[in-house]
Amino acid sequence: MLATVLTSLVRGLEARPVEVQVDISSGVAGFFLVGLASGSVREAKERARAAIRNSGLRFPHRRLTVNLAPAELRKDGSGLDLAIAVGICMAALGLKAPRDAAFLGELSLDGTLRHVDGVLVAARGLPGQGVTDLVVPACDAAEAALGEAIRVLPAPNLASVVSHLRGEAPLAPYAGSLPEAQSPDPELDLAEIQGQEAARRALEVAAAGGHHLLMWGPPGAGKTMLARCLPGLLPPLTLAEALEVAEVRSVLGELPPGCPLDWRRPFRAPHHSMSLAGLVGGGSGMARPGEISRASHGVLFLDELAEFEPATVQALRQPLEQGRVFLTRSAGSVAFPARFQLVAATNPCPCGWSGDGRRACRCTRAALETYRRALSGPLLDRVDLQVNVPRTPLEALGGEPSGESSSIVRERVLAARSLQLKRQGMLNASLRAAHLRCWAPLRPAARRGLERWATEAALTARGFHRAWRVARTLADLEAAAEVEEGHVMEALGYRLAEHAG
Amino acid sequence: MAVVGARRPTPYGEAVAERLATDLAAAGVVVVSGLALGVDAAAHEGALIGGGCTVAVLGSGVDVIYPAANADLARRLLHAGGAIVSQFPDGTVPRAANFPRRNWVIAALADLVVVVEAAEGSGALITADAALHLGKQVMAVPGSVFSALSVGCHQLLRDGAGLVQNARDVLADLSSPGEVLDDPLAAPERFRIAEPADGSRDPLLRHLDDSLPGDPGVLARKLGLPFGDLIARLTRLELEGRVVRRGAGYVKVHGRGTSREESE
Repeated sequence: MLATVLTSLVRGLEARPVEVQVDISSGVAGFFLVGLASGSVREAKERARAAIRNSGLRFPHRRLTVNLAPAELRKDGSGLDLAIAVGICMAALGLKAPRDAAFLGELSLDGTLRHVDGVLVAARGLPGQGVTDLVVPACDAAEAALGEAIRVLPAPNLASVVSHLRGEAPLAPYAGSLPEAQSPDPELDLAEIQGQEAARRALEVAAAGGHHLLMWGPPGAGKTMLARCLPGLLPPLTLAEALEVAEVRSVLGELPPGCPLDWRRPFRAPHHSMSLAGLVGGGSGMARPGEISRASHGVLFLDELAEFEPATVQALRQPLEQGRVFLTRSAGSVAFPARFQLVAATNPCPCGWSGDGRRACRCTRAALETYRRALSGPLLDRVDLQVNVPRTPLEALGGEPSGESSSIVRERVLAARSLQLKRQGMLNASLRAAHLRCWAPLRPAARRGLERWATEAALTARGFHRAWRVARTLADLEAAAEVEEGHVMEALGYRLAEHAG
Repeated sequence: MAVVGARRPTPYGEAVAERLATDLAAAGVVVVSGLALGVDAAAHEGALIGGGCTVAVLGSGVDVIYPAANADLARRLLHAGGAIVSQFPDGTVPRAANFPRRNWVIAALADLVVVVEAAEGSGALITADAALHLGKQVMAVPGSVFSALSVGCHQLLRDGAGLVQNARDVLADLSSPGEVLDDPLAAPERFRIAEPADGSRDPLLRHLDDSLPGDPGVLARKLGLPFGDLIARLTRLELEGRVVRRGAGYVKVHGRGTSREESE
């Protein structure tokens, strides 16, 4: 007897259909699993055998061959357990499994279905492969239901799946509906920050134009707190974005059961000791998403940028440019989303006192230059905004915070963003030189100012375009059609002072 | 006479060093310094402007000009009849340990050491210390009480160093007859800003200091300006060469008339 059951494997954020073909023939009793199965999949044999017996079903004592097709795709993980067990039962019963249903789930020895990672990815990807029903463990039903185009059938255990397929007790489709979009309260409000006018303004501009931001300031100046305010200044995630965020978490098994969709923009702050694989993604065998993918559609905050391994920082370049990261490991290549907004922070100099009026910086000019050179390079070329974050004087900390709250700033940010999307279909941070000429016309005085600066401060072409992009965002915040001289001047102010002392 | 001070002075310190050296050189004094960036370079520069000769004492071999940024200054200094001296053999590379020893030589060569801007524990204070041990005179230029770079000078003044307001103070101490110079000190030419033809000056300048960096956030709050507008105006002033950035703050460049405006 032959039975074929559909299931799926997750590669990156892509669901690959896998056919479990089970053949029962006469001969010496045995159980053969073929089709490039890794160790964890070979263990499925034992789980399937015990689960079938303990569910009150008969395990065929004949020659059993299970093939996982396509054979060139490496099979990993325990998500195939259910499909293998269902295939064996169907073959033993002489039944055909439906061709439009897929089965996902890990088996306990007693037949109970357990959680598997990546259910959402399968639920979103499989309808394109002609699958209409998805049988998942009951605990993963809410997650799977986020993939709207598929009927989700939650099952508590193997026995219920088999009786569903025999037509005895059909499984009830999951009834929950897609959650409504919400504007969640920001984790941290700008109103809680004392002083720091420069950083406040820079955060607003960064949020409005999607610009990456670098904060220079001594430890304890509040750089982390400021960075944490950024997600609250951004518009809430759209449904598509929220689903992509959820998919990454699904692959990692980090989706909280019950409330799978989070409308908050992610905020990730990896420590500087983090490895390259942890940051951009990787791992042995099949690559897993790293911090930059977890931060996709949100904010990646790199504190103490100078302490990160140079190679780690360099690896951010390609994802920053393409919004995706491509990883190749022994088991194949995958792509993960990496559309994050970078906020980096660093000490102004090795000794940390530069720019602080209370003590003179003791770094030599050469040490300072070495330090800054190590930080600059391709990564900082992508950072449009640089701002100094000095320590707030202690006497000012006692007073009432006086700045605007995040919600007021966010209104301006949203208006500026919608102007950009209407005009050019992208945020200003993505504008290239040719775009700028077309969409960011400079008033004569603004052009003169920018060109004069370029000549006198020996601005590079990159620096020139950076200031131009930021000036466009500043104009958008005022709903100005053309870039005025004041915008250019302010944009030029958001760069690092040459002299630190 | 030696003029020494911070490698990264405020515009005020740089202006004072240059002006003093110019006036002293004009009066026939040989100005000794260390060819470092900042005050040292300004002192050599000033001596050359004053048409005098100046001596640079290096912390490396005389054939190793350090820092390289001052190579041109070294050339001009020799051309004007000055000297480059060193206690280290040719080819010695500039090591951190060499500089305190070099500072002793500066003190030994000079009859009097003038310190312009020195933070606590800086190299200029080592020179002053050496001068005292060698029985030389030490004088210091006062600075802003808000500035970390004034701490060393003020400490010297408290300990009895002579106060320098202009070159005459120094010349009186050297007890050599010199011409009478302006009082107070006038800022040297390159630190002066030509007034715009229409006489317009950003009133913002009145709120900035020439040694203590002004925090733009505090300034915006004080003046009730949107932060962005303030940055735009400060950047415009920066482009015109009237202010410079120092860390998070802005410092006014020393210009003509500022001292009068300050006292208003």
